[in-house]
Amino acid sequence: MLLLEAILLTVIVASTPLLLAAIGELVVERSGVLNLGVEGMMIMGAAVGIVAAITTGSSALGVAAAVAAGMAMAAIFGALTLGLAANQVAAGLALSIFGIGLSGVVGAGSVGVPREGIGQIALPLLSDIPFIGHVLFRQDPFVYASFALVAGVSWFLWRTRAGLVLRACGENPASAHALGYLVLRIRFLAVLFGGACAGLAGAYLSLVMTPFWSSGMTAGRGWIALAIVVFASWLPWRAALGAYLFGGVTILQLHAQGAGVPLPTQLLAALPYLITILVLVLIMALRRGGGGGPQSLGTPFVPDR
Amino acid sequence: MTLSRRHLMTGAAALAGSAALPGPAAAQDRANVGMILIGPVGDFGWSHMHDQGRRRMLEVLGDRVTSNLVESVAPPDFDRVATQLIRTGARLIFTTSFSYFAPTQRLAPRHPNVFFENATGPATLPNMAVYNARFYEGRYVQGVIAARKSRSKQIGYVATFPVPEVIHAINTVMRGAWSVDPSMRIRVVWVNAWSNPGREAEAARALIDQGCDVLCSHTDGPAPLQLAEQRGIHGFGQASDMTRFAPNAHLTSSVNSWGDYYAARARAVLEGNWQASDTWGGLGSGMFSLAPFTNMTPEQASEAERIRDALANGTLHAFDGPIIRQDGTPVIPAGQRLTDDQIRAMNYFYQGIDVAMP
Repeated sequence: MLLLEAILLTVIVASTPLLLAAIGELVVERSGVLNLGVEGMMIMGAAVGIVAAITTGSSALGVAAAVAAGMAMAAIFGALTLGLAANQVAAGLALSIFGIGLSGVVGAGSVGVPREGIGQIALPLLSDIPFIGHVLFRQDPFVYASFALVAGVSWFLWRTRAGLVLRACGENPASAHALGYLVLRIRFLAVLFGGACAGLAGAYLSLVMTPFWSSGMTAGRGWIALAIVVFASWLPWRAALGAYLFGGVTILQLHAQGAGVPLPTQLLAALPYLITILVLVLIMALRRGGGGGPQSLGTPFVPDR
Repeated sequence: MTLSRRHLMTGAAALAGSAALPGPAAAQDRANVGMILIGPVGDFGWSHMHDQGRRRMLEVLGDRVTSNLVESVAPPDFDRVATQLIRTGARLIFTTSFSYFAPTQRLAPRHPNVFFENATGPATLPNMAVYNARFYEGRYVQGVIAARKSRSKQIGYVATFPVPEVIHAINTVMRGAWSVDPSMRIRVVWVNAWSNPGREAEAARALIDQGCDVLCSHTDGPAPLQLAEQRGIHGFGQASDMTRFAPNAHLTSSVNSWGDYYAARARAVLEGNWQASDTWGGLGSGMFSLAPFTNMTPEQASEAERIRDALANGTLHAFDGPIIRQDGTPVIPAGQRLTDDQIRAMNYFYQGIDVAMP
């Protein structure tokens, strides 16, 4: 296997959980809700996913359980911020902390239990394309799901009426409400979708990347997913770019270390973050300010009856 | 008013508590033992094994000992947690991280009636002992095995932070490897974390892609070993026996085992003869052991056993001279041996390791 091919394969594996979580959060934020609980939903997905897979012996059920766990966590957040109009930042942070703690309890019985990971599936024909086919189409199902999600969400948000309504809820919920749309219900569905994606990202960690349970195994990936949404200025394709850029620089710095590049490893380890910030600043400068975020992001909406 | 009264009452309760405590030397029927862990019990690594040790202590001493455990305590929270443990009656407290050394050292003089034990600090106080295991002995055996198993002559090392404990482990792996084949080389990737399974797996992938075919790991989880299994190469487990994570790749694991030490120390408190000791137990002490050698030829396994036993009974030592730094400066000549303090302070790679110190 060519080294470049090997590196790209690793980059995709490293980036996929970030991309899955980011694309979910992107939809949530487009609907006007800021859910900082991605880390908590992701780690609950990881814990419930591996526990369910171990208990039932089925990876598919594990993934389903992980998605359900992410959605359940999101539902709590939705009930607090949409039902009770609680502060979204506070509720999101609480959800993260809660998820990290609860996942430890859920996973306690599965510490040190090994499990076969979910393997790759080569897509017929496509995987025979030299190089690109090897890198892109001999992957695990999660990677294909992430491709599909980026395309699907992009299509949904900009090519469907429902997507337009969802974006309207994020830009100006009062107008959307006046037009007769159920803003809170739409936002709640978006929040659930975000939870499902975060749960899926968690399942990727505990069922594919490192198929075992270890407390705190998400190690901050949920926060990076949040950053990628801002980096992407709320555009799905750019979120994919951001996730692969971040994953790519992360892997390259590991390779640089292994190859003995004489740079301080602390600096190399900081590189993904530095480059992400740099690109973000560049994008901002090119657009002359203006983040392009939904106008009502993070503002609770209470419909007056 | 309420607030000040509450403070007053807590103060009174603490006073009553400390008055009830017997002096350090008195024997007693029962003791409460506290333990503070840097990570979660569920890390299947360092903290997990300390908790296993605590359970073993409870098993050995039965109802004479009770214990309270606090996990995932960040160093800034240490004082609060330790003080709370003391208030609830702990007579002996194990603080199980090097990051707790300074905070423990600061707290111990203020609680002369409580005994503290810190893993893996370098200095003692009248009521503070330190303990650690000579894990590097296991690293030497790993080096020997790696040199026998590797075809590419390259060892991959998933390292955590450039602290002496990790640096002397890397040096010792190579010492062991060179004893078999002086052409062995090592590649190191620092993941800057004690536990981040995803990053560990990525580091392992990078090392394997660069041609390493035996992986050593200083992080706690089985992720690098699992990668080794997936890619059909070999690797070593860390902290606990990880054979089942990689039935075809696993060579041996360094298995931490604190239980007997904890039981002995708690018993000393019960019997009133606790002393502030500095324990650094090797393979011979039972503080850690090597998991059964797997995926080796009988000759390779018996060689590994021979080296292990020689290290355990002291006929072989991992830090015998000559020791020369990476840049060619001699540290000690042949015939001498590094002192424990020199080992604990090691901040250089040996000559022949072509990896830059971060």
